[in-house]
Amino acid sequence: MKLATNYNRVNIVTSTVVLICTGIVYYLFIHSILTDKLDKDLVVEEDEIQQYVATYHKLPLPASFINQQVAYSVFDPSQPERELRYTSYIDPKDKDEEPGRSLFTTVKVGEVTYRVVITKSRVEAEDLVRVILLITLGVSLLLLTALLLINRFFFNRLWKPFYSILQKMKSFEVTRMTGIREESTSIDEFIELNASVNAMAERVHRDYRELKSFTDNASHEMMTPLAVINSKLDSLLQTEEFTLRQGELLQDIYQATGRLSRLHQSLLLLAKIENNLIPDIQQIDMAVLASSKLRQFQELFEKDDLQITADIDKLEVRMSKYLADILLNNLISNAVRHNIKGGSIEVSLKGTMLTVSNTGNAEKLESNSFDRFAKSSHSEGMGLGLAITRQICNLYHFDLGYAYHDNRHFFSINFSSVS
Amino acid sequence: MKILVIEDEQALLESILDYFKGDGNICEHASDFSAAVEKISLYSYDCILLDLGLPGGEGLDILTRLKELKKNDGVLIISARHSLDDRLAGLDLGADDYLVKPFHLSELKSRVTAIVRRKNFNGENQIQFQEIKADLGAMKVEIRGQVVPLTRKEFELLVYFLSNKNKVVSKNAMAEHLWGDEMDMSDDFDFIYTHVKNLRKKLIEAGAGDYLRSVYGIGYKFTDQ
Repeated sequence: MKLATNYNRVNIVTSTVVLICTGIVYYLFIHSILTDKLDKDLVVEEDEIQQYVATYHKLPLPASFINQQVAYSVFDPSQPERELRYTSYIDPKDKDEEPGRSLFTTVKVGEVTYRVVITKSRVEAEDLVRVILLITLGVSLLLLTALLLINRFFFNRLWKPFYSILQKMKSFEVTRMTGIREESTSIDEFIELNASVNAMAERVHRDYRELKSFTDNASHEMMTPLAVINSKLDSLLQTEEFTLRQGELLQDIYQATGRLSRLHQSLLLLAKIENNLIPDIQQIDMAVLASSKLRQFQELFEKDDLQITADIDKLEVRMSKYLADILLNNLISNAVRHNIKGGSIEVSLKGTMLTVSNTGNAEKLESNSFDRFAKSSHSEGMGLGLAITRQICNLYHFDLGYAYHDNRHFFSINFSSVS
Repeated sequence: MKILVIEDEQALLESILDYFKGDGNICEHASDFSAAVEKISLYSYDCILLDLGLPGGEGLDILTRLKELKKNDGVLIISARHSLDDRLAGLDLGADDYLVKPFHLSELKSRVTAIVRRKNFNGENQIQFQEIKADLGAMKVEIRGQVVPLTRKEFELLVYFLSNKNKVVSKNAMAEHLWGDEMDMSDDFDFIYTHVKNLRKKLIEAGAGDYLRSVYGIGYKFTDQ
């Protein structure tokens, strides 16, 4: 539930309850004040009658004034001597029955006790209460409506900077060096949130840059001596004619430096993939890429008399071009390297599934084959190919599977999680 | 061609200068940022080999300077940084090519020659070696006016040899040039031999001299000496 909705609910329920209670209390209070005033008038009237009786020793005429009636009867001792009650009042003019308030009292004229009933109309008081009640109700309704409107429109506007900051945080990408823009707002909390988010983004960017410059520097420092060795070898090659033995030695050194630089590049690549430092994500046409890879490997296939079967459908995948290249390179060169003379390789791209299968050693790969530097005893590779393959699949949430049946090794990648 | 090598690693610098020497090439060098800036503002070069990690300044700034000076020198970046960002930034700033360390000198030479050829295009992008004429635009080789039918790989191989004539080119360098160094290949390059053999046979059959020498299992040399 949204904060505003939650807050609104509480706010409106509370307001309604408080307003209803206030209305009730207000009504009761005014009602009792007006009744009290009526009662006082009735008592004044009673006093006047008592004084009249005391002076003239007879009952005054049962007069009827505006909104007031007086009636006498012989007192019945079973009735209470004096009481105030709500009664009805008959308007003498149009005989309408109106709510009234009566004072029942007794008066002694000589030996006879009379019962006196003084009745006053409550119509005016009731009208007053009704008007006051209506005004109160109206004001309450107005207040509730205002609250609702404020919540709906003002709150949305008030929270806009928050949602805008949230949106920017969601779309924040560390590889893009864009900061989170300042959101113009006068609310202290949002200004603080904005500042914190910006500071955090800045810190993340700084860490990212440090990491990146570390990998770059590490690469640089190690590659430079390698470059020197390589260039010196090339220079050495130009100096004079070599004996066959010297040629073999040179070839071995070439081989070793080549492997060292590839190994180093692979390790750096792994680190980069793990830290998600490879940004050139784009739409890759897998079918085109796979076909061109197969052409590229043509000589290697021919060298080992490998039979190639390709069944490639169209598929577009969003990923880094560089990594897509490496992914296919690794899968195909694995299939070549671990193959047997005159064996076969099948490459199929069906739906979102890429499968590369090959003949090879008649034993299933161990489950740790995807770990770094895991390799079988007769492998020539560095044991990083599958580790890189798995890392790339992890990065893009592709499903990487391995199976062994019918004397074939099957490596499959399901690209479905992205397309 | 006139070349400026901007590289702070002395040993590597010497190898590069050594390799480019001769063949009518003039090579100059600079080992730090200020020396490099001085050279580029005073002279013009056919191609500048630029190492990005320079003492005294950021290598990419050299490119900006060149642009400010409105110079049209070819630039090849050589860097140990295998970073896509740098590669793109370099090419954006007007570099012609980008080569990652470690590299083979033969690869470096072939790239530099390609840049210089492109810069001095003048309508014909051709290499002439004795009776062999390679047309890079049409990807066609002629010997005394007669077209030699070469495959794409054989053509690339010939151009590579022509860029490195009179030099021994190792099999590793050839393999990396033709198939890319990311293709983690097995260590034996027999399939190179097949391509070289076919190329040599086709050239000789078309009436060219036998210029290809095998150098003791390490590589090959294309030479008329």
